[in-house]
Amino acid sequence: MAHLVLLPILIPLVGAMIGLLVRERRPLQTAWTLGTMLTSLASSLWLLWAVWQTGQPVVFHSGGWLAPFGIVLVGDLLSALFVVMTQLVMATGIIYALGSQDKVVTYPTFFPLFLTLATGLTGAMLTGDLFNLYVFAELLVISGTVLTAVSDDKYGTEAAYKYFYISLLASFFMLLSIGSLYISYGTLNMADLAVRVAADGSRPLLLPGIAFLMAAFMVKSAVFPFHFWQPDFHTAAPTAVSAMLSSVVVKLGVYGFLRMTTLLFVEQSPQIRAVLLALGVIGVVFGGLSALGTHNVKRMLAYSTLAQVGFILVGIGWGTPLSLAAAIVFAFNHSLIKAAMLMLAGYIASRASVKSAAFAVVTGVGRPLPAAGVLFFLGSLALAGIPPTNGFVSKALLFTSGIDAQGMWPLFLIGLASIFTLMYTIRAFQRIWWQAPAEGISTKSTGDQLIAPVILLALILALGVWAEPLVAVAQAAGTALGDPAIYIHAVLGG
Amino acid sequence: MELVTAVAVGFLFAIGVFQMLRRNVIRSVIGLMILANAVNLFLLSTGAYDGLAAAYTTATDMRSDALPQALILTAVVISLGGTAFVLAMLYIISSRYQTADMDEVNGLKN
Repeated sequence: MAHLVLLPILIPLVGAMIGLLVRERRPLQTAWTLGTMLTSLASSLWLLWAVWQTGQPVVFHSGGWLAPFGIVLVGDLLSALFVVMTQLVMATGIIYALGSQDKVVTYPTFFPLFLTLATGLTGAMLTGDLFNLYVFAELLVISGTVLTAVSDDKYGTEAAYKYFYISLLASFFMLLSIGSLYISYGTLNMADLAVRVAADGSRPLLLPGIAFLMAAFMVKSAVFPFHFWQPDFHTAAPTAVSAMLSSVVVKLGVYGFLRMTTLLFVEQSPQIRAVLLALGVIGVVFGGLSALGTHNVKRMLAYSTLAQVGFILVGIGWGTPLSLAAAIVFAFNHSLIKAAMLMLAGYIASRASVKSAAFAVVTGVGRPLPAAGVLFFLGSLALAGIPPTNGFVSKALLFTSGIDAQGMWPLFLIGLASIFTLMYTIRAFQRIWWQAPAEGISTKSTGDQLIAPVILLALILALGVWAEPLVAVAQAAGTALGDPAIYIHAVLGG
Repeated sequence: MELVTAVAVGFLFAIGVFQMLRRNVIRSVIGLMILANAVNLFLLSTGAYDGLAAAYTTATDMRSDALPQALILTAVVISLGGTAFVLAMLYIISSRYQTADMDEVNGLKN
């Protein structure tokens, strides 16, 4: 049973290796990649089911070395849910790439890199060891950067360079944090570290360790002062990749903050939460305003990610079990919505005369494409949080938990700022589907396929109408996060 | 010995950060490499002064901690791969823009 937690990491990793071996035979490679990803998704659903049924985290001690000494992989409700989210969106990303006209998807290493991206993200969420988290995060960063650097967009390399440079700096922050925590407490196992930090919070290097770790996760999630690389990077990446980067990859930092405030540094969490709350509110307002001022659909959606991650951080910042559950639901739903929206933006760009998502190029392109218009409109409703979509569920939960947590000022500000969401998505919708195209702009007859965004929007509507299972799992996860002893007991035993 | 290590780590950090802030892209990558070494040296110092003897000897003294060295080994390999990749991208960028000035590599700005 404990081996279950290995499957979502091992399946894509082995799949990537075999995918490299069959790179000469493209039909085989694409079928293999899709099959691998779907198998992996099934295994992560199985993991979530197992954790949900037993109510206990699944712990795997690698190499048979018991907890504080060996590396452990831990699948508790939070990480299992995040892994399901990751692999679900990754699977639709592969489906989008299969129907894409981009030249980049024909490169022999494209699909294996996609699988290593999934491996890195899944591994970072399932590991119970800080250094192992760093290694998986590096795998994720390198895969994502390579996928962007080979983009059809001629500025792909420039954006990838920017991102990689900042990410290497973030990795240094993480290593500094690992060193500071190791010299203070002599362990890197997250559960063991939590016990020792709780026992003695007076070590001089503890606060620098926390600050460095926060900086690292903020770069990963593109939180407000560390966001500057994100719009460029997400605009220049190939559509299938940018849909992953802007939806699930930014959730790694969110996951890290959840773990930091509820497991590693419980004593210090009020200060961490205050910072997250402030930065989250700034991110919501700043991201909304920036998205209003852009001239490119993809860039608008990238800024919108900044705002939506801000909402999640506000939920973590309130820190009650209910608001943690709301943050988890918000993270899950936002991944689906943002991936669908970016795929639709990429679809429109693939139909435009020049392959670009700039408003100057795509204005009026949507007129012969009503199906995509309906999908984009539904996605806009979801992003703005209007029923019957899952965006409404996540916003309703978040605002309820905010009233519950007495966080009136942040609630007021983010409530006001969520109007921006409606403004910029509807503006994009009007320009693409309502306005008449400019002289000489025509819609191409072929382009990317719509299967992946249709799947995602079906899920968005389904989770909007029938939200109980997700909310129940998230609430159980939020309650479990309120008691770090559950995680610690499962890992260290005794 | 502690003092020498501390000064060396601090000095490497200072040079690394200074080079990173230069406008020349090549200099900023060199700054990144120096910073990687500074971080690795810092990691090494977290385990170096616990014991007196090397980690895997038959000596009966108190041994030093081997874990930070294993961590550095991994970090070095990762930063090697990262540096190689950064240099490859730098090569493409510098040949495309025909410049090493960071302010002129601004295709994404427009």
